[in-house]
Formats: sequence, C-alpha cells, structure tokens
Amino acid sequence: MQELVLAVSLLAIAAVAGAFVAVLRGLEPGPESPLAGDRLARLRQRILWGAGLVGLVIAVATLLPWPHVVPAGQGVVPVHVRASMWAWELDRTSLPVGVPVVFYTTSSDVNHGFGVFDPKGRLLFQTQAMPGWVNKVAWTFTEPGRYRVLCLEYCGLVHHGMMAELEVGSTS
Amino acid sequence: MTVHTVAHRAVPALEPARLGLVLGGLVFLVMMGLGFLMKASQAGLVPLEPQLFYEIMTAHGIGMVGTAGLTGIAVLWHFLGRHVELDDRMFWTFLGLFLSGVVLILGGIFLGGFAAAWTFLYPLPALSGGVWSPSVAVLYLVGLALVGVGFLLVHLECARSLRAAWGGLSRALAWPLLLRGAQEPIPPPTVVAAAAVTIFNTLGLVFGAAVILISILEILLPGVSLDPLLAKNMIYFFGHVFINATIYMAVIAVYEIVPKYSGRPWKTTRIFAGAWSVVLLFVMAVYPHHLLQDTVMPGWALVVGQVLSYGSAVPLVAVTTLGLLSYLHRSGARLDLPASLLVLGVAGWTAGVMPAWIDGIIAVNKVMHNTLWVPGHFHMYLILGQVAMVWGTLLWLARGRGSSGLARTDRLLLSLYLVGGAGLTLGFLVAGASSVPRRWAVHDPAWIVHDLPGALFALLILAGACGFFVKALPGMLAAGGERTG
Repeated sequence: MQELVLAVSLLAIAAVAGAFVAVLRGLEPGPESPLAGDRLARLRQRILWGAGLVGLVIAVATLLPWPHVVPAGQGVVPVHVRASMWAWELDRTSLPVGVPVVFYTTSSDVNHGFGVFDPKGRLLFQTQAMPGWVNKVAWTFTEPGRYRVLCLEYCGLVHHGMMAELEVGSTS
Repeated sequence: MTVHTVAHRAVPALEPARLGLVLGGLVFLVMMGLGFLMKASQAGLVPLEPQLFYEIMTAHGIGMVGTAGLTGIAVLWHFLGRHVELDDRMFWTFLGLFLSGVVLILGGIFLGGFAAAWTFLYPLPALSGGVWSPSVAVLYLVGLALVGVGFLLVHLECARSLRAAWGGLSRALAWPLLLRGAQEPIPPPTVVAAAAVTIFNTLGLVFGAAVILISILEILLPGVSLDPLLAKNMIYFFGHVFINATIYMAVIAVYEIVPKYSGRPWKTTRIFAGAWSVVLLFVMAVYPHHLLQDTVMPGWALVVGQVLSYGSAVPLVAVTTLGLLSYLHRSGARLDLPASLLVLGVAGWTAGVMPAWIDGIIAVNKVMHNTLWVPGHFHMYLILGQVAMVWGTLLWLARGRGSSGLARTDRLLLSLYLVGGAGLTLGFLVAGASSVPRRWAVHDPAWIVHDLPGALFALLILAGACGFFVKALPGMLAAGGERTG
C-alpha cells in the first residue's frame, strides 16, 4: 500500500512540476497559446469532468467495502486495549494467524494513537485511543512474528517510549 | 450601487501590514532554525533532551502556524486596502494582541515547560503527567486566545468594510455574477477572496476560541469538562480552517502582483466566483479528514472528509493553478525573484495538495496518518507554497519598480530554497511511506537515514530564506518605499 501511495503522489507532484516548467519555458510572447480563449475553457472543462469521474471511481473503489468494517460472531478474537501515559495495557498479547482480531481501543487520560507495526517495521493499521470512547479496528494477521505497538498520537513527554509487543503465533 | 475603491489611498509612514510582514519574515527564520534543530536532533547530530525537543516542537508548530496567519492577513490587509477603506487602528490592535499573546505562549513553553504541541489536543494541556503545571497551561491558552481575538478583530473590520463598499458579503463574493451571469461592477479577485476568507476564518476562530475557553475553565474549575470527541472536532475544525486561510490569504498577492509582470489583469469570472464559493464551503466541511481513525465518528462524516479532501483540490487546480499558467503563458513576462517566488508558491501549494488528498482516503490514512507523510505534505504547501508567496510579496514590496529579471544571487537564493524545500518535503514523504512516526523526539537507528538528509535540506532552506530576508529588509524599512505598486 505505502509504495503505491508514494508512487502515485510522486507522479502527481511531477505532473504539477512539469506543467509549470513547460509554461515557464513558454513565456515569450506568441500568438497562439493553448491556454487562452476557447481552448482554455475546453481544457478546464476536461479537467473538471475528468476530475469528477476519477473522483467517483476512487470513492467507490476505496469506500466499498467500508474500510472500518468490524467482523462479529464466533471465531473473532477480541482484544481490549487501554492506553495511559505512557504505557499500553492489552488483555492479551498472543494472537493467532489467519483469524480476524478486533481491537477495542480506549484511553484513561489523553488521546493516544494505537499503531501496529509488522516485524519489518511497516505500519499495518492504526486507530485512535480516546478517553471516554472505544474505537474498534479489525485485522487478520497473515504472518507469525513479533509485532510492535507504537503510539501515533502525541501524548506528552514519553510519547516516543510508549510501546508494547504482540506475539503472533504460527497456527490459527 | 456605488462602490468605493481606494486605488491610491494615502499610505501612512509606517504601514502596519508591512510591519507585520517584516516581523513575520523574521519569525519564519527563527522557526526554520528550530525545525533544523529538531531534524538534527533526530539525526543524532545535536543532543536534545525529549523535554526540550517537545518544547521546541510546540514552539515551531504554533510559531509557524501563527506566523503564516500573521503574514497571510498582512497580505490580505495590504491589498484589500486598495479596494476598500480599512481602519489601520484595527491592524495595530491586532499586532498588539498578537505580540502579547506570543509573550505568554513563549513564556508558557520555555519557562513553564508547556509542550502539548500546537494542536493542544484536549485534554493534554490539563493532563501533562506532571511535566508542566496547570497554571502554565492556562498561560499558554490565554496567549493563544489573545492571538485569536486579534485575528477576529481584523476579520470583523474586513467584513465591515466589505459590506460598506459592496452592499453585502454576497455581492463581494460575486454571487450575482455567479448566479445570474451579470454584476455591475464586478468585484476584483482580491475582494472575492477576502470575503470568502473572512467568513470561514471568522467561524473557525469562534470555534477555536470556544474550545480554548472550555479548556481554560476545565483547568480552573474542576467540575467543568468537555467530551474529548467534541473537543477534537472543534480543534481540528479551527486548525484546518485557520491554516488553510493562511494560504488563501497569501494567494491574494498572486492575483495582485503577477498581472504587473504578465500585463494580463486577473479577472473575476463566473468560474472564479464559483471556485471561491466552493472553497468557502469545502474548507469548512472537509475537516473530518483529520479524524478518519476515530471510528466512533459517524460514517457519513468520514465519507464527507474523504470525498471533500479530493474535491478541495479541484478548484485549486482547475481555477487558480490553471488560471496562473494561462495568464503567464506567452505573456512576455520577465520574472524576477519576487515573481518567481509567487509562481513557486502556487506550484508548491498545488504539488503539496496531491499527497494531502491521497492521505484523505480512509484506507490510505490507516497506514499514513501521523507518520512523517503528514508533515511531508503540509511542509510542501507551506514552505514551497504559502511561505514562498510571502517571501515573494516581501521582496516585491521592497523592490523598486520594473523587473530586472533574475540576477545571479537571486538564482542562487531561489535554488537553495527550492532544492532545500523539495528535498525536505520529499524526504518526509519517503519517511512516511517507510512508516516513520511523526512527533517523536527519539528516532530508531533505522530511521536516521531519513533524518540526516532532512537536516541538510533544512539548512539549505534557511540559507535561502535568510538571503530573501536580508535582500528585502532595507526596502521594507525604507520610508516611502513602493507602497501601492
């Protein structure tokens, strides 16, 4: 996911930069600018329609199914997470592979960010831990290993030291 | 109806907006220095204790946001004053409140140890884990409130003068032109932009003031408390609207100055008026994209946050960016340093919006939120966007008439700033894609590979910016310099 997001962003930034460089190279006066009159209006119309269409496709593709959907029923492993300055309290830290796990996340003081990183240090998912509220996030681990929980919402002096570990087993 | 324009108003010997821009430029340099310090600390080059790191982080954040606000509103005031009668006493009052607030904020941070980040996310100011005292939090929040009241006064004066000159804010927004296709006279782009910003930033400031007040009361009166989710909504509504307002105010300089080079006046068309009306709505409605990982939020609000994140980029690209390119292309414009920085400002803003809206996709946000991806995109549209526009305005106000093109030193300064800005922000994005968290005083050894180049690029930005400031200062301070352009 992250590599794709980076690649798309860099392409979009490069396209913006390319458009500016092209125009700045064509500052000399000339009779026929493709960015004037009816041609500009047509280009603008194409951008608006194109952006609308692309936006619709992105919205449908990324919102269906709902990204925050949480499975229920038998076979789902619940984990209750409570954050406080500056530690994580989880009611279980040994988790199975191949089974949906639902994290019920809250805080006893300020806002924290519950972020789970794979053994290679890649962020897999996150949710906010907020006092008075329980945010739910679901994940199915596919690889065994030692996963780290880091705080992703600034919470004061030892924010960077607020860590925990999850041991994900090799069998479901 | 009669519209009073002030094309050649008498300019006082010391124009407050110019002073605001000079002060802002100076503070930008200090804040960039603090930014370099943080990167150097994460890279292991400069030893900073976490307490000091987080104090600097808080000062850097509030300092940059506040100064972007100060410079943005100075640009708005300076150029709006050409079209409507503004009472300079209101801007002087704003400057007084702003500086008083800054004293309290800096005292709270560096004397009292306050380090709750600029977003003061409730209830962190009141619950510091014993690091700072409640009275210090009150000091900081009162300072913030003073600054906010100052901005509110300026916007109320803008609203008053726009209503007086145009017979209502809807006319200043060019809604008759938008809805009926005709309006006489048609408000210039500066008036349309100022009207829109005045409306949304006033609302943002009111929400900000409310949550600050409740935060203060909670500390002083133990029985008072606020729902953390409601507080988060209010803070991000205020914060999102305010930081966006800084860019939408600075772009007024592009509308006013670029035509001096292109010879093509920036016009208010139906599509221009429509774009600003869309901005007026979207900039307020999009804020839930800051809460995409709060799953207790109503689903529809998160959908709005995602969809409008994308939608907000459309008027920028289709109207402002395309408009600038069309006004410049084959115009014969000879760009000097100020004009180059203004053009860079629109380019950087547009480029920075790309990774921002992508981060607004809920599924992407799940792995990018609160990583260095976030400072990656907002530094891009601030350093290479808003701040570049402000440097361009400062240099343009300081220079004599006529474009002399880009001198060798100008090219050097511009290159330093551009390479530094692009390097730092792209480095942030790469680090974010590598899952490096933001706002961490201590970095894992594996992350330092991202920090070392970041520190170097931050130095390049600072060098370029120092050059801009030194070049602009004599002209800005000279009595009788170019005032109305």
